[in-house]
Amino acid sequence: MSPQILSIVLSIVFLVIVLLLLRSYVLPEKYAVIWLAAAVVSIVLSAIPGILDWLAALVGIQQPINLLFLAGFFVVFMLLMQVSLELARTRDELRRFVQQQAIETEEARRHGSE
Amino acid sequence: MRTLVAIPAFNEEASIGQVLAELAGHHPLDDVIVVDDGSGDRTSQIARAAGVRVLRHAINLGVGGAMGTAFKYAARNGYDALVQLDADGQHRPEFLERMFEGIGNADIVIGSRYASGEGYQSTAARRFVQRVIASVVSAYARTKLTDATSGFRIAGPRAVALFAEHYPVEWLGDTVESIVLAARQGLTITEIAVVMNERAGGLPSQSIFRAALYTGRILFVLILASFRSVPPRIAELRRRAKREAAAR
Repeated sequence: MSPQILSIVLSIVFLVIVLLLLRSYVLPEKYAVIWLAAAVVSIVLSAIPGILDWLAALVGIQQPINLLFLAGFFVVFMLLMQVSLELARTRDELRRFVQQQAIETEEARRHGSE
Repeated sequence: MRTLVAIPAFNEEASIGQVLAELAGHHPLDDVIVVDDGSGDRTSQIARAAGVRVLRHAINLGVGGAMGTAFKYAARNGYDALVQLDADGQHRPEFLERMFEGIGNADIVIGSRYASGEGYQSTAARRFVQRVIASVVSAYARTKLTDATSGFRIAGPRAVALFAEHYPVEWLGDTVESIVLAARQGLTITEIAVVMNERAGGLPSQSIFRAALYTGRILFVLILASFRSVPPRIAELRRRAKREAAAR
């Protein structure tokens, strides 16, 4: 099996995993879009390596694989940043919920005893 | 002026009963709340048995989160001032009266154990760190503060309104960042000399590694504070105040 076929097969497996997660309501649409896009891009790039060569020449990178690494790194970075931001927001929401729940439970308790 | 005393408590069953008993001689227990920050022990039960209201967090949020709850509760229930008092017995309620004298001229009064030099002072290394932190915080607050990390404080009406909207929670938000935030919003801060006890229960974190981490975090927070924008909820509060002023 040539490396190209292997790369296409792996990309398709990845796409199928994302679709399965999406189908079973495990992965929400919001997060699925970026992974779907990544899967499609990797399939296209594996199937037509010429695109990568052409792009690398365009931006002046001699080894096309370096462009792939660079772009991949960037995408992963952005994804991690998104996860951090989501985590921060979720923590904030959780804290506000716990605070409000504490206050309302005490208020209900007092009304109950009056 | 209606004043609420808030006691943030996390696993303080060893000392909370004593603290409340002592407080009862200086402040009506009807106007005291214990914020039980997700304790796994009998903190809540002991506090309720003593006759005070308890706001119980389902999970541990830290001191900043507990004070956020206390300020929200105070604002909702029409309190004008809020006293923060630790549950470990470090803070002596007999100084509350003296601290209240400061609230006439300032929005926040901090009880400082270093201003007088009496009573429990902690170790020399720790005092040096505290001095560095205090000088930076003093610069922000435009007044001399000697005990920036003290958790013995009174917040006046303007501070209650501010902190009910947003109370800093990350890292040491409950201590230095809250002062810097208030100062940047134009609130005035002052300190009153108090005498503190060594903590009754629990162990102070004293390893060198932890001390270094603590100092690093505070300095990071202080540097960050110099260029941070206004927290969104406070910006909203200000916009609302401006709109109301314009409508009048």
